[in-house]
Amino acid sequence: MMFLLWIRGVLARRFLRVAGAAAGIALTVALLAAMALFLANAGASMTARAVSAVPIDWQVQVISGADPDLIGKALTEAAPVKTVHQVRYADVAGFEARTGGTTQTTGPGQAVAFDSRYFSDFPAEIRSLSGTLDGVLIAQQTAANLHVGPGDAVSIQRMGLPPAEVRIAGVVDLPDADALFQAVGLPPQAAPQAPPDNVLILPQEAWRQLFDPQQKARPDTTRLQLHVRLAHEALPPDPVAAYTFVTAAQRNLEARVAGQALVADNLGSRLGAVREDALYASVLFLFLGLPGVALAVALTFAVTSSGAARRRTEQALLRVRGATTKAILFLSATEAAVAAIGGTAIGMAAASLLAIIAPGLKATLGVDGPTLLLVAFFGLLVGFIAFLYPAWRDARWATVTAARRTVSRPKTPLWQRLWLDCLLLAAAGLFFWQSASTGYQIVLAPEGVAATSVDYKAFIAPALFWLGMALLTIRLSATIIAGNGALLRMIIAPVSGPLAPIVSAALSRQSGRLTIGIAMTALAISFATSTAIFNTTYNAQARIDAELTNGSDVTVFGSTDRPAGARLAALTSLPEAAAAEPMQHRFAYVGADLQDLYGIDPDRIGHATSLSDAYFSGASAAGTLALLAATSDGVLVSEETVQDFQLQQGDTINLRLIDARDHQYHPVAFKFIGVAREFPTAPKDSFLVANSAYVARMTGSDASEYVLMRARADPAALARQVSSVLTFDPSLKVSDIGQAAHLIGSSLTAVDLGGLTTIELGFAVVMAAAAAGLMLALGFFERRRPFAILAAIGAKPRQLAAFLWSEGLLILVGGMIFGLLSGLLTAWMLVKLLTGVFDPPPEALSIPWLYLAVMLGLVAASVAAAVLSARPSAGQAAEQLRDL
Amino acid sequence: MAETLVIAKGLGRDFRDGNADRINVLRDVDCEIASGARIALVGPSGSGKTTLLHILGGLDRPTAGTVEWPGLGAFETLRPRQIGFVFQSPSLFPALTAVQNVGLPMLLAGENTRANDIGASLLQSFGLGELGDKLPEELSGGQAQRIAMARALAMAPKLVLADEPTGQLDSRTALRFFDAVLSRLEDTDIALVVATHDEVVANRMATRWTMDHGRLTTGHRPGAAAA
Repeated sequence: MMFLLWIRGVLARRFLRVAGAAAGIALTVALLAAMALFLANAGASMTARAVSAVPIDWQVQVISGADPDLIGKALTEAAPVKTVHQVRYADVAGFEARTGGTTQTTGPGQAVAFDSRYFSDFPAEIRSLSGTLDGVLIAQQTAANLHVGPGDAVSIQRMGLPPAEVRIAGVVDLPDADALFQAVGLPPQAAPQAPPDNVLILPQEAWRQLFDPQQKARPDTTRLQLHVRLAHEALPPDPVAAYTFVTAAQRNLEARVAGQALVADNLGSRLGAVREDALYASVLFLFLGLPGVALAVALTFAVTSSGAARRRTEQALLRVRGATTKAILFLSATEAAVAAIGGTAIGMAAASLLAIIAPGLKATLGVDGPTLLLVAFFGLLVGFIAFLYPAWRDARWATVTAARRTVSRPKTPLWQRLWLDCLLLAAAGLFFWQSASTGYQIVLAPEGVAATSVDYKAFIAPALFWLGMALLTIRLSATIIAGNGALLRMIIAPVSGPLAPIVSAALSRQSGRLTIGIAMTALAISFATSTAIFNTTYNAQARIDAELTNGSDVTVFGSTDRPAGARLAALTSLPEAAAAEPMQHRFAYVGADLQDLYGIDPDRIGHATSLSDAYFSGASAAGTLALLAATSDGVLVSEETVQDFQLQQGDTINLRLIDARDHQYHPVAFKFIGVAREFPTAPKDSFLVANSAYVARMTGSDASEYVLMRARADPAALARQVSSVLTFDPSLKVSDIGQAAHLIGSSLTAVDLGGLTTIELGFAVVMAAAAAGLMLALGFFERRRPFAILAAIGAKPRQLAAFLWSEGLLILVGGMIFGLLSGLLTAWMLVKLLTGVFDPPPEALSIPWLYLAVMLGLVAASVAAAVLSARPSAGQAAEQLRDL
Repeated sequence: MAETLVIAKGLGRDFRDGNADRINVLRDVDCEIASGARIALVGPSGSGKTTLLHILGGLDRPTAGTVEWPGLGAFETLRPRQIGFVFQSPSLFPALTAVQNVGLPMLLAGENTRANDIGASLLQSFGLGELGDKLPEELSGGQAQRIAMARALAMAPKLVLADEPTGQLDSRTALRFFDAVLSRLEDTDIALVVATHDEVVANRMATRWTMDHGRLTTGHRPGAAAA
């Protein structure tokens, strides 16, 4: 009976406080549930995207003499196989063609044959550039080397056999040549092999006719591979589990076919790379999500403690009347139950709603059910502890008289006397310095090794920093407020006017309560600021990453025969085009190493694409390009090339380039002037950048294979316009930055962080507004009597407002200053610690001004709402004094 | 001739209780307060004394009848300049010291420069000088009530309405304190109305009003001498 009476009383008299605590619990539960759903879905989405980006899951190379059918049978027993196709390879000494009265020859190459229906099951392996796919096909580079096209004859220099002549039906591009021609069976740490420069694709019957004799004569020069597509629906959704599943199946197959076949596990390799991203997703969850959860929990505790004075008074009365500690705790538990159950239910409902409407958060209750139950339990636990712990502490330790006090002389807490805040900040600095000294390597997922590791020590620095900043905020705020000095009066002067001395005196006696309000507001603003800055910086870098891969907003890829630069005038005149710049893409031998060579106009390339300082080593982007412009024969090379060839600045490098006049490679002298780490459209490993004018002069061809374009607004719209003017020329490929972002599968950019960040930013705003407004409103609610007294003794509404607004302004100013400072530093620390997420690392933080303005505006609005709702209504002072 | 400060005619005040039933706290009360009056308002608990004081002080509005303050000026200026009020329950501003609480009405009236001096002087005159720097929660109930009385007098108002100012004092201290109050008001035109259960205090006053079940059963009618 007493239980029900208490509940009724709590709801009738203390609804705001219980509702505030329930809101804190709801925020905790909703954020945690949303984060858990994000994590589960991010993993599944990473797995799905990684799997879809692998053209051939497994390449099983049949050892000479083994039975392919038996290996096929072992395959189906070892793994869930969807389809298997046979591909035959033969090494050839070279190709030769006679065109226009001249004879062109190539170096060694390969002749390949795919079985029927191969291209329908593995469509990404081949792309038709001209002619048809029925008959003998020639790779684009080989066609360029031999100067042949559809209808021309090519002679194949077989090993140990006379040459054989075939007629070309089509020219093709082999987009996945690296995997298609990889050496199967090499150890994981072996350096990747470059695909052959010269490739001819024959129909299976023609291949057998031409190369069965070679197979008999030189079995070491031919190979049979089984290309396997696994049943992807059988893979576990989590990348780590999927990796384990696929690699286990691969090992099982290897055991079954030991001595008969070798297996290249492309899918396993891909999933292995994604594991790192999955771990980074977990790290992001911890870095970005847990502070939010911690803040929501702190908010719940702050809300319950905001009514501490009244609760202690009630408990004191109960104790005076003989209530035992157990009875008091039982009554607190009833209050806790209302807040905890209500808050948890609201939080779960909010998370369910988010799961429906937020991108990347589709809840699958079958999978996520246990997680959500755990989250609900956590919410209940927070609710009960938030109410029961202070009740237990007060019932056990506080005397009745002490318990009834609401304002008391400030005492310096132990942590302040021990300078714990400064110690925590110093420790944060030390841990951060340690992470910096190891190059911020937080996540380790070594290639070919199942075990992964996350350096959880890296979390210590931001955690200590957060805690240290919170305590420092409390210390400095308390010093300023309790000191009742000129600074405090200056802060409140705009709203307290002539009452500033008495208002500041009143505030100085409430420094404990006010500093908690300021600290909570500062933490919430800090969380919102750091999350928003990290998110904006991440998005900016993701765009730079995509631009780096794609080259620019829109890039038109052509070849030396069909250069995109020939269409420059048409492309420049497109309405959506802000700029269009041609760029050469050739190949050059550095020693025996064939590398991509980019010929640019250093003065103009920046019009169409962004060149970050991080792309170049030892100098800025502007400085490096200026040097290149000033050195006509200058060349920028990759760090790998500098290492391999022991190059010194100013060295002359002889590169071998194809001369358009005789289609032969000739040495061309370049001067090494700098190092390029990255370059638009360039591969990750090694490449060269030179002046296009010099390349054109030395090779007899001014063809610009690529055109980089900057869009006025929407890159996709520009890409559509470009495609429409290039429809007549299918050999030119148009790609926009959005497509590139989608294709960067091994990067976290592929994870849909949109859902996570939208939720995070939304929660951050709500919590910032709640921390300031709710804390203030609850404080005012608990102190209605003093304000009623003020009104009763004659304070005018504006004078009452001076007290209320001063308190609001103090929390707002303190919260904003400390929050923004802490948020900025936290964001900087997060960006540094999570360097591994960024590619390339950002040069500076990107500040989301609009979001910050909206967030701070909402915080200010919540403070204003709290103040306005707390103003006692005119003529009711007597009634309020009776009631309170 | 004494100036009429307050005139109340046919005052009624209804409240609704938790069951939405109407309770008549005041019924048809007529009264008048002149300058320099010393009035004891007595009656059993729940008879309507506090409600009557609140209405006379402009803190509450009657549901029937009228109240006017001909000698105190416009309603908006009644407090803190014209009427000082002492509440039955603790009414000091918890975040201010005793001396700041006493000087608070002066600060609200814009008299910043004199507030501390007058506050300290009033506390001294009531024998509370050593409590000036204490916070309300460091004071006893009796000390807080005496400081509240000092606060009511800070602006030298024309009318002081005190609700049980000695309720939390022992009878000896109460008498000594009340004598100090009367002494302070001696030779002034300040009218004093005190709601009290203390017969000794009531007997110190020139006029006695008795409340019973919301009616002012004994006392002066309008036009009768107030003091």
